[in-house]
Amino acid sequence: MTDDVLVRVDNLVKYFPVRTSGMIRRTVGQVQAVDGVTLEIPRGKTLGLVGETGCGKSTLARCIAGLLPTTSGTINFEGKDITNLSRRAMIPYRREIQMIFQDPYGSLNPRRRVGAIIGDPFAIHKTVTGSERKRKVQDLMERVGLNPEHYNRFPAEFSGGQRQRIGVARALALQPKLIICDEPVSALDVSIQAQVLNLLSDLQRDFGLSYLFIAHDLEVVRHVSDQVMVMYLGRVAESGPKEPVYESPRHPYTAALLSAATAADPETAATRQRILLTGDVPSPIDPPSGCRFHPRCPKVQELCSQDEPQLEVKAGDMPTHVTACHFPVVAGENLAVVASRR
Amino acid sequence: MSITEIEFQASAVEGAPEQAVEGRSQWQLTWGRLRRDKVAVTAIIVIVIMVLLAIFAPAVAALVHHPVDTAYPNTGENAAGNPVGPLTNGFWLGTDDTGRDLMVRILYGARISLFVGIVTTLIATVAGVTVGLMAGYFGGFIDTVLARFTDAVLAFPYVVLALALAVIFGPSLPVIIGVIAFFSWAGVSRIVRGQTLSIKEKEYIEAARSLGAGPFRIMFIDILPNLLAPVLVLATLYIPSAVVFEATLSYLGLGIQPPTASWGNILADAQNFYQNSWWYVVFPAAALLITTLAFNLLGDGVRDAMDPRTERVLAGRRGRRERRRLRAQRRSVVSGGSGVPGTDSLAIPAGDD
Repeated sequence: MTDDVLVRVDNLVKYFPVRTSGMIRRTVGQVQAVDGVTLEIPRGKTLGLVGETGCGKSTLARCIAGLLPTTSGTINFEGKDITNLSRRAMIPYRREIQMIFQDPYGSLNPRRRVGAIIGDPFAIHKTVTGSERKRKVQDLMERVGLNPEHYNRFPAEFSGGQRQRIGVARALALQPKLIICDEPVSALDVSIQAQVLNLLSDLQRDFGLSYLFIAHDLEVVRHVSDQVMVMYLGRVAESGPKEPVYESPRHPYTAALLSAATAADPETAATRQRILLTGDVPSPIDPPSGCRFHPRCPKVQELCSQDEPQLEVKAGDMPTHVTACHFPVVAGENLAVVASRR
Repeated sequence: MSITEIEFQASAVEGAPEQAVEGRSQWQLTWGRLRRDKVAVTAIIVIVIMVLLAIFAPAVAALVHHPVDTAYPNTGENAAGNPVGPLTNGFWLGTDDTGRDLMVRILYGARISLFVGIVTTLIATVAGVTVGLMAGYFGGFIDTVLARFTDAVLAFPYVVLALALAVIFGPSLPVIIGVIAFFSWAGVSRIVRGQTLSIKEKEYIEAARSLGAGPFRIMFIDILPNLLAPVLVLATLYIPSAVVFEATLSYLGLGIQPPTASWGNILADAQNFYQNSWWYVVFPAAALLITTLAFNLLGDGVRDAMDPRTERVLAGRRGRRERRRLRAQRRSVVSGGSGVPGTDSLAIPAGDD
């Protein structure tokens, strides 16, 4: 079992200090972006991470990628602790962990040619040089569906989807084991999204890649993931294999998210009841007591504001499906009715 | 729009060769726009002529048989011992007060002026870019130290201090270059720092870090190319101020020392003779004026070419520029809207200097 886990994140915490401006900067608070997240990324599989904007998805990804120092907690890669390594110590792991970014416009340097951008990993890690590098870059371009003739073009000369392919090629260059995809398709047109997603799953099949796939689009996550994790305000609400989480969500938040997503199947869409959550996501500087979801939860009871629920296997669920809720949703329960009664 | 016009445009689009959108770099685009700017092209021609004249000054001296430091008391001065005027006795631009050929001396002065202008600008640009990149990228303590040092340099009354330094170290070419460079890098540094601060937040910098790039690779390979446009414009505009600075120091007797010719010390010598020998003042002053004006206009042109959206300073040409800009926009629309990559990052922040 252990050998099947590529990355294990244990109780990861990332707080950003809030400081006053001016010469003397006092710390007046902390944005609790990620607050005690534990996860495992299985080898060769995809872990989908969903949640609303600002729930700490991207912060978590950047911590795992070694781009942000963590506040506490550990990150293990193939059994080795890579938490807060120095830049030099991190270099060998950079080859194994690559990242695809959300913004296909912002993530490519507008002043550099595509060949140079994709060749960067080779140049930085000094693995391939000279004409060999050009050949390798052109192979990569071909692999991700770009015309290798466009080696000398600038990013501005490509469309959004093509740019994202450039980003994929760059991430693929060093043959990593894990690619962290931070909302890789949310900036693309729907028709282009499918192409990029299919490219990602082809590459997973061919190279045995693992993905940490972040998105706020539930259907996209359903399409690509093996495991799904739902985050709310820096905490994990529910986590488990894709089918049970999507078919019978136990956390009211998961149920609400799923009910709000557009269904591909019109029959489902017609019969489904939408659970309307009231209010906004509370500020991560001052999160609610107890269960962080309780101010918006349709099933809230007094216990919820006092005691913080832990991730547990709920009755009838498979042992890998865990939920952090005192009063999990039971099969057939109509939360929309519950919500309207309140 | 008539049908024929539409047809014409359509055929123009179809007829456009595939290569029209092939990998034109920022520099090619800039050069393309600069080439259509008549003022800038004229400025380039003037500068090239100046540089050639400076390089071949000894050849000109040989041509007119008047070595630079040789006085001609008989032919070069009139009976009263005053300089002779232009086109007299084989002196094309007249002579100076000791009977030396003024034209040859102005050309030798151009060598000094252009050398000082270009070398100091190079030094100041390299130093300013390095300091600005480090301050902006590292931030924190390094930024505080470097940025405050930059502010301190900018706050000096530099002419006074330059005079003091020239007195202390004794006037010589290296000292002059050092002094001018020392007072020029701070402006570059400040602009580079500001731009670096905004560029380092871009996602492609994070991408570079996620690949394992070190701070210096990020600074010079990822950030610097995005700064070259404003830096190049600034450098072009620094050359004339360095030329004027050198002339100022030499005029005050603290720069290039006689008998070596420099525009500044020729003008200093000439000021006693302006009443009866107008050419002695007018020609070196004109050389200085034409050179600095040409560099300034070229700098303006380069800035406009780098960023077609900034307004030109000279008001009279605004209408023509407006039309040209609209033409450029139409062109970039025809070529798929990709003609001008990321121009918004090119504008020099106004009032930051």
